[in-house]
Amino acid sequence: MSGEILIQQPGNSVVTDLGRTRGPRFGLPVNGALDQYSARAANILAGNQDNHPLVEITALDFRMKATTDILIAVTGAPLTLTVGGRPSSQWEPISVRAGETVSIRGINRGLRAYLAIHGSIEAETLLGSVAPDTVVGFGLQLKEGTSLLTRKSVGPVRQPYFDLPLFRLGLERPRMDSDLLVDVTDGPDVAEFGASGELLFTSEYAVSGRSNHIGLRLGGELPERTSNGEVLSRGVPVGAVEVPSREELLVLHRGRGVTAGYPVLAVVTSTGLDVLAQARPGDKVRFRKTTVAEATATHRRSRAQLETLRESVNTVFGLLGIGCRPQWQDLPVAACS
Amino acid sequence: MSVLAAAPTEIYESGDSALRVVAISEVSEHNWLTVHGLADWLEDCGAEGLHGAVPTYDSVLVEFDPILVSARQVRAFVKLGLLELGRSAGSATAPREFDVPVVYGGEFGPDLERVAQHQGISVDDVIRLHTEKTYTVRCLGAPAGSPMMDGPAFPKPVPRLKDPRLSVPAGAVAVAGRQAVIAPAVAPGGWCVIGQTPLSVLNIRREPLVPYKPGDILRFRQIRAEDFGQYQGLELEPQGLVLADVDREKSGARP
Repeated sequence: MSGEILIQQPGNSVVTDLGRTRGPRFGLPVNGALDQYSARAANILAGNQDNHPLVEITALDFRMKATTDILIAVTGAPLTLTVGGRPSSQWEPISVRAGETVSIRGINRGLRAYLAIHGSIEAETLLGSVAPDTVVGFGLQLKEGTSLLTRKSVGPVRQPYFDLPLFRLGLERPRMDSDLLVDVTDGPDVAEFGASGELLFTSEYAVSGRSNHIGLRLGGELPERTSNGEVLSRGVPVGAVEVPSREELLVLHRGRGVTAGYPVLAVVTSTGLDVLAQARPGDKVRFRKTTVAEATATHRRSRAQLETLRESVNTVFGLLGIGCRPQWQDLPVAACS
Repeated sequence: MSVLAAAPTEIYESGDSALRVVAISEVSEHNWLTVHGLADWLEDCGAEGLHGAVPTYDSVLVEFDPILVSARQVRAFVKLGLLELGRSAGSATAPREFDVPVVYGGEFGPDLERVAQHQGISVDDVIRLHTEKTYTVRCLGAPAGSPMMDGPAFPKPVPRLKDPRLSVPAGAVAVAGRQAVIAPAVAPGGWCVIGQTPLSVLNIRREPLVPYKPGDILRFRQIRAEDFGQYQGLELEPQGLVLADVDREKSGARP
């Protein structure tokens, strides 16, 4: 049986997933959940597959009503969560009865929250992804009165079971501070900045209010390019740190245009991008240099924690008879080496 | 693309999920063939963990999932692909040709006169130079799969606008530096807009979303402002399809 939810207060929310990985070859950015760790965790906690459609809520309060019994999980930025008026916990599966309202308020540390619903959400896809693309005008931006269909409804679950200590089994909740430490590796064009490239690691930067899913603008002491030849347009990676103007540093995020002509000073690591996804205007950012090998190891450790979480959730859901078969995803060989 | 040995290349780390491969021969055409041949090869090899490749003029960005493959493994793949380029014909599809009707100047091309002044030539000469060239799509760029092309034979490079526009309409035909482009979607832009095509270029209900691919041929053809409406709602298609129909309709409608 499918379920339904009704959006009462959309705030700034969209239906998204882990992104359009086939997009860049067609000139479309990857887009998708900016905080990939929190989005994956939400889906895992809701018994979904990692890439299932879910709701990304940015900064503003959000409220929805379940018209059937459903099971949800909320992750990402810390916030005040109530279900049917009862205070509820983030980073846990929560049973919502038909007619109850889910309310999300007070995102003031961190910026983005993720709400996954067991059975996920029906939404149109473009190149295999539901992620919104503001440039081509695709995606499901939620409005007051939007009705979302889920592929499953879940009968009320006796709450005590969810007091099982899921999270002592290894899931780390990301820290959300107003002082962010972001790991980067040297960019392909680091040599073009000469000695001034080191400023990136000795200065502190402030997040500008003009930041969005395309890129974050950071004010502070700027490295300067020593060469000034015209650069041919070329593919730029998500996470590219550029100095396009004399005023701000630009860090490209998942909505970035696929090609550009600015030299790439540094590239934010996969885990660093999750940190930046939660940066609020005014937050302070410091960069720390790492290597690709180290960044990959960190990223794989973090993913391994999510795999542990998946096992725990499958066990609990199995015991409760919640209607999903265990969804094992074998870790690929490369991740174990 | 024909059989050719790959140009010499350099491979740069670009974070934990991408590599940049740059072809560094003296011959830009060879570099372009190399990076596009490599992108096609990577696409076809279907290796686990490879998201895709974004080839442009002399470089290709190879994106991958670092959980599934390591940067070192992808680098080895790239080297294999470069060796293979010289051995196989690659994807040897013949280029298709596209005819692009354009209304130049006026509200359709607000920067036409500015470009003419800067070049020190007449507006008619700008249009003539823009329409007499045959353009090869070099790569798909931002935004939304724009066809990036080598520009017309203007006397000098075209400077970008000092104040980029917040919104350039879909179909805008623009030039900058030594490059030319059509905008498939509404987006901000700093290129000089000299005209606009009434054809729609982007269709997100279709795959691929844009009809051309790198290597295809585009030609621009001047039409009158009053004919703009006749083409609206039609899609840019390889030659011999839509435009032939329009011409038939037009000739049929003539008294």
